[in-house]
Amino acid sequence: MICTGCSCLCDDIVVDGGVRNACRRGAGIFRFVNEGRAKPMINGEVVDFEKAMDAAGDIIGNSEKLAVYGLDTTTVEAQQKAIELAKTKEAYIDDNSSFCLGDFVELILKEELPTTTLDEVRNNAYVVFYWGTDVYHSLSRHMSRFTYYPRGGKRQRGYEEDRFLVVVDVRRSHTAKLAKKNARFIEVGDDLELIDAILKVLDGKAPEKFAKDAVRIVKEMQKADFNVIIGGLGLKYGLKGDYQQFLEFVRRVNEVTNLYFIPAGCHPNMRGFNQLLFEKTGHVNRYSFRDEEAGEKFAFPKLLEDGEIDAALIVGTDPVNSLPFDIAKKLKDIKTILIDPRQSLTAEIADVVLPSAISGLETGGTMIRIDGVKVELAPFLEKKPDDVSIISSLLEAV
Amino acid sequence: MPITPMEVYKLLPKTNCRKCGEPTCMSFAFKVINREKNIEECTPLFEDDRYSRQRDELLKLLEPLKEATETGLIVTEDLCVGCANCIVVCPVHAAEDPYGSAAGSGPKIEDPIFRLEDGVLKVINMTKCRRYGKNRILCVACRENCPSDAIRFLEG
Amino acid sequence: MGLKFAKFIRKIETEVVVARDSFQVEAADRGKLSEEFVKKSAVLYITEEFGKKNALREGEIVKVTRGGRSVNLRVVYNDTAPSEGAMMPNSIYANYLTDFDSFKRFRVTIEIADGNVTTPSEIIELIKSG
Ligand code: SF4
Ligand code: SF4
Ligand code: SF4
Ligand code: SF4
Repeated sequence: MICTGCSCLCDDIVVDGGVRNACRRGAGIFRFVNEGRAKPMINGEVVDFEKAMDAAGDIIGNSEKLAVYGLDTTTVEAQQKAIELAKTKEAYIDDNSSFCLGDFVELILKEELPTTTLDEVRNNAYVVFYWGTDVYHSLSRHMSRFTYYPRGGKRQRGYEEDRFLVVVDVRRSHTAKLAKKNARFIEVGDDLELIDAILKVLDGKAPEKFAKDAVRIVKEMQKADFNVIIGGLGLKYGLKGDYQQFLEFVRRVNEVTNLYFIPAGCHPNMRGFNQLLFEKTGHVNRYSFRDEEAGEKFAFPKLLEDGEIDAALIVGTDPVNSLPFDIAKKLKDIKTILIDPRQSLTAEIADVVLPSAISGLETGGTMIRIDGVKVELAPFLEKKPDDVSIISSLLEAV
Repeated sequence: MPITPMEVYKLLPKTNCRKCGEPTCMSFAFKVINREKNIEECTPLFEDDRYSRQRDELLKLLEPLKEATETGLIVTEDLCVGCANCIVVCPVHAAEDPYGSAAGSGPKIEDPIFRLEDGVLKVINMTKCRRYGKNRILCVACRENCPSDAIRFLEG
Repeated sequence: MGLKFAKFIRKIETEVVVARDSFQVEAADRGKLSEEFVKKSAVLYITEEFGKKNALREGEIVKVTRGGRSVNLRVVYNDTAPSEGAMMPNSIYANYLTDFDSFKRFRVTIEIADGNVTTPSEIIELIKSG
């Protein structure tokens, strides 16, 4: 079975009485499948599902400035329907990637940032960077399945000889603690300083900061023809929007060896959404079908902040938990419909709640792993309605 | 954390009376830690009231032995996130399960040393561990690659 | 000596980083109004050294404030926290304090507080009341 707990989409899960091979987070999704489930609601009152559907249809029907938001934990099929709905309504559409790793995915899809697959990493990678991400907690099996620990292809001798680990973070995270033999942990205050140091080494100059580490890292990277950066939110915010500097860094390293990039996004199908929207519009997120363009001002949090929307269809995400308070509280100014398998904090304030099946466990479909590899889900239960059927009915209603 | 033979020895009667079948209290202490002897086999400790305080202290000291497996490996499930680093890194798995745990997947052999069950590390067959039995060697690969100290060994 | 001196320090100003925590995410999946979620989210992780230096004891309730907004959190020692500063799991608590300009790293003041940790419902009430 496939675990949809995170963007690793582990494909070796066995469910028979217990849950085998999944990490803590992943196993929890299977074990507690019936806990904390959402109920159909209108204004906080539990109602029939049909009634809630009608209310949702009304909100969408009456909305003049609708936003469709979330979608990172659902299937490509549901994302497709959501994009259709947004198009029909000339609505805005956005996912969490606009404040997560969407920029990196866009650079990858536009082929400005060289990338690879996690299977290639397992078979070939020598230097593995975890930059601004504590995968031990966020993508628990990432290191053991794909990067540092497994043996594969050209890397048969195990991590102590065949890999070199570099962890970059502002704190000594659990992932950083694993940087022991043949490894480096670099505690940064400012990520750009490390990039600068490595660029200096490539120029044959001596950097002021991180001099020893930068020299060593460049030397290690040149030992192999395959190195990879797994970059997370820490890197994104560390760059302070200066992607050019980062692209330049990757380009320069690629003059002397090969360096690829894979984002460390957490949501299981963020890449799916980004890719799908990119195919249809040339943009990965924050798109306005009315204006037929993408931009910062169409990011869901920004639309909320600016009071640009009158209703939102929120799918499988919990903005009350995950957006800054000043923005989240604006959800109360508009009509909100929430489609989610679980009772979230947003459900507490939503006008309409539509419970759905859990993708991967109760309903099938496709997801795209963070490295672009397509994964077919293999549900072990059958439950309706799911995101696809709910969004399809809403689409029919308009 | 590891319990040393010295700590055990200090709390024994130290009379070398041999009632336990060992020539000295020190060698008995070693065997207790390796789980080749039970502390109860030192009968004077339990029969003579003079040792009652030492006995209580010793039993407390040896408490973790009970939860430990045959090789002295203890898993604290509450600290484990199920990253599987320990499973993949284990040299025995690497040799016996080349297409499963050696390559990063869940174990494909029936009796791995351990695997993830319900999200945490469960010991399945400790007898395969290199620390087990007469010809044991002091492997620490699994513990070394558990960043949250969910794996401990009683010794070394 | 150190402790006595620290008593006079009323407010500590420091930086918080927002991080992922597998145990907290597991609890979130089971329900964000659950006790377990609150227990694992309404926490301020600091290293023991940082705690000793600033007289913040494990288990203590602290009021963490940024830009006029505060939440009450429980202090928990954790050796993966930044050496100078604190760490919070990503949740409604961290997001109550943050904004997009300093989304995952922000400066706060910490002071000892009475009572219990803030609940998610208290923050949701603030949203509802507008
Ligand atoms: S690493 Fe991610 S996909 Fe794999 S078992 Fe854990 S939560 Fe599931
Ligand atoms: S029985 Fe007890 S006191 Fe006697 S030799 Fe053995 S350990 Fe020492
Ligand atoms: S001690 Fe070595 S052989 Fe034994 S389980 Fe751990 S890694 Fe495997
Ligand atoms: S015991 Fe440690 S290394 Fe093994 S799965 Fe658990 S957390 Fe990972």
